Amino acid sequence: MATELISETKTRSTLLVMLRDKLRLKPAWEKLTWTWRPETKREAGDAIVRNFVLHWFPAKVSLESLSWGYSFWLGTISAVLFLILTITGGVLMFLYVPSVERAYLSVKDLEFSTSYGWFLRGLHRIGAHLMVAVVFLHMVRVFLTGAFKNGRKAVGQNRPLNWIIGVALLLITLLLSFTGYLLPWDQLAYWAITVGTNIASSAPVFGEPTRFILLGGTTIEQATLIRFYVLHCFVLPLATLWLVSYHMWRVRKDGGLACVEKRYEEAKKEERPAIASKTYSLLGITGGTAVDVRNVMVDDEKDKVPSSPYLTVRLAVVTLATLVASIVLTLIVKAPLEEAANPAVTPNPAKAPWYFLWLQELVTITTFTIGGFTINGALIGGIILPGVLVLAAVLWPYFDKSPVSSIGRWFPKERKWQNRIFLLIIVAILILTFIGTFMRGPFWEIYMPWQEWEQTPRKF
Amino acid sequence: MLSKDAIKLYVLGLSLLGLTAWVFFRENRMDWTDYQAEFKEFVTEKFGAERAAQVPTGIQQIWVKDLDRVDRCITCHQAVEWKGLETAPEPYRTHPKEILEKHPLTAYGCTSCHGGQGFSTILPDAHGNVEHWEEPVLGAEVSEAYLIKNSKALMEMNCNSCHRYDRETKGMDYINTAKKLVEQKDCRACHTINGRGGIIGPDLTFEGEKPTEQFDYGRLTGRHSVFAWQVAHFQNPKMVSPDSVMPNFGFSSQDAQALALLVMSWRKEPIPANYISGVQLRDVPTQEEIEKEKRMLEGEGAFFVQNKCFICHSVTSLGVDSAAKIGPDLSDAVTDVQSRFGRTLDDFLMEPTGTMSVVLATQIPLTTEQRQQAIALLKVAYQRKLEQQIKNASPSPMPTGK
Repeated sequence: MATELISETKTRSTLLVMLRDKLRLKPAWEKLTWTWRPETKREAGDAIVRNFVLHWFPAKVSLESLSWGYSFWLGTISAVLFLILTITGGVLMFLYVPSVERAYLSVKDLEFSTSYGWFLRGLHRIGAHLMVAVVFLHMVRVFLTGAFKNGRKAVGQNRPLNWIIGVALLLITLLLSFTGYLLPWDQLAYWAITVGTNIASSAPVFGEPTRFILLGGTTIEQATLIRFYVLHCFVLPLATLWLVSYHMWRVRKDGGLACVEKRYEEAKKEERPAIASKTYSLLGITGGTAVDVRNVMVDDEKDKVPSSPYLTVRLAVVTLATLVASIVLTLIVKAPLEEAANPAVTPNPAKAPWYFLWLQELVTITTFTIGGFTINGALIGGIILPGVLVLAAVLWPYFDKSPVSSIGRWFPKERKWQNRIFLLIIVAILILTFIGTFMRGPFWEIYMPWQEWEQTPRKF
Repeated sequence: MLSKDAIKLYVLGLSLLGLTAWVFFRENRMDWTDYQAEFKEFVTEKFGAERAAQVPTGIQQIWVKDLDRVDRCITCHQAVEWKGLETAPEPYRTHPKEILEKHPLTAYGCTSCHGGQGFSTILPDAHGNVEHWEEPVLGAEVSEAYLIKNSKALMEMNCNSCHRYDRETKGMDYINTAKKLVEQKDCRACHTINGRGGIIGPDLTFEGEKPTEQFDYGRLTGRHSVFAWQVAHFQNPKMVSPDSVMPNFGFSSQDAQALALLVMSWRKEPIPANYISGVQLRDVPTQEEIEKEKRMLEGEGAFFVQNKCFICHSVTSLGVDSAAKIGPDLSDAVTDVQSRFGRTLDDFLMEPTGTMSVVLATQIPLTTEQRQQAIALLKVAYQRKLEQQIKNASPSPMPTGK
């Protein structure tokens, strides 16, 4: 009885489909919701293979990749923070007015009268600061574990490229934060952007034009505000989204996190016979001329667990933990809003955003006077040194000749000196940032944390 | 591993729930919700539940678009415009009525006079004695800090934003004193104020605009504030800035405070012209026009000037000259009315028709006596006209040949 019914409906639906195909009719809702339909099975298969979302996670994942202690999940945390920032930012776009006359007032309204405005702004601000810090830490982790190195000669592996994309993402994160810094249009914003863009303008040849284009003129005014706003809300987030997607896709293309490389090394040592029967090159799936692709097989059942639920649950834990931590910080830390921007009054001291304070420190250090001749530090400390650092970061993987066995491990002996040099630079940056943030007082004098600053003058 | 992660997930999920509740609680339990609840109770006790039901809830604000101000003070100070709470404790007290009559809340808001941060709905921020806000409420708290006897005196600084060009303003004793001192000591001998004065000292026109950072507090004991600096400087200029050539006038501390308030009130903030006291926003007649009218008022045709007939009509023979000349010259009204309307002048003026009926009914209501006076004067005017015609017609003396 039941089978009869099924076959009957089947015939009927097949008939309908045939009729529809004959008449080349598509249901209206299909036309509206799905514009593309694969013509062949091959096309359909390709569509699945190319789909990023479906391949975000592998079917199975190694236990090392899931461990807390190897990656600290910093990349994931950055992505979650980006998500928080996108959502809160999206709502803030309805409430903030990017005009010189209204920007400050609209932020005051957020703070005092918009429902949950204080929370939205606080969470967005904390999320932004955390993202700068976490993306930076993520880069430190990747360097220290040598995770930018290619391991086994796997197909399409190109970890150095992904490292470079990572460096680009760090720079974009800084720019995102920097452009957002101006939007409240208070004294803090105005002068931080003044300091920041002044440093940028000291670059030879391109410096002044860059500043002019960025500001939309020679002074920070309405033209600057709208430029920063569009960069902050549209251009840079879009670039981030695109690069992050590629960054994650590359992680899978590169064979997962670098920590799995040592499994392949161990498997090699076990000297199991490699299976040498696949002929990918003939199928045109891989490059190269060799017909015989030797592959070291890692026992999937022994080393790996299914992504769902192992990876997905951890992902949920990380997402929730990031959200909880951000909210707690939002409730504890007060988001400052200073007086409305006033080009006529320079606060003393005037500081760049905290993540650029090491640059401002470098500018101070490299500004010195010999006889009657003053060397302007903005070029050396503000452009050349950070430029060299970024260039070094980009090129580093190509000069790192440490053995494959050092990949994906914390503090391997083989990379001792590299890591020492890197850490030295990182510690120097952190110390300079600390000095700039906590020890620079009025007239850019050094104040010890226990020393009191001069009384800030007030009107009454 | 999974079960451990599950526990973490539950713990985090619960904490997120807790945090959400906390955020919700914080959003819905602001300072002002307590004050509004208390005010409702207060009104219930005093006026009954019916009145209390009319008390609005939620954030209240006065938006003064002209002054670009949003004042949310009335969120807590709900009784500002109530009757009968004149002696109630703050924030439930009625605002003194007289001053509000001339300065309605809708046109001035609160902070343009009192100072403070109108945006804020949180007590310390609203009263403005917080970091990054330079306009605190100018009341008892600040007055006590500077030992000013009259706690309302400081507020005069804000009043003078609009009353800047008054010589004297009712109720502004400190500023009035200071303005008198400016004249008595002739500050303009050295300083330019509002575009007039000397150049030995700095231009003081926008002294109130000078940022806090631009004063040297090095020789100042106590609080580093612009007000303290100004007071100290007025009392002894050389003590505060040794290079100053300004003489020590020996001002009393109250005079020095008054002068400090005055100079600090000289700001650049944009105020619409209709808010500024003493600024005339109307067409003023020229000196020439005024003199002409004065001359005509003294002549024989004064009646026609006083009663505004001259706006439309000239009475040339009586020396009255209309600028517009919309109507006919009234010098020959006696004959002109007759020819135009077929009625005598007396008859017409008593019961006019056409335009004149409208004018006399609405704009120039003349009594019967005034109409008779007009008729009599118009007859004189006709007489004068005839006389002048005869005079002009008589041969003039022959010009002597060269």
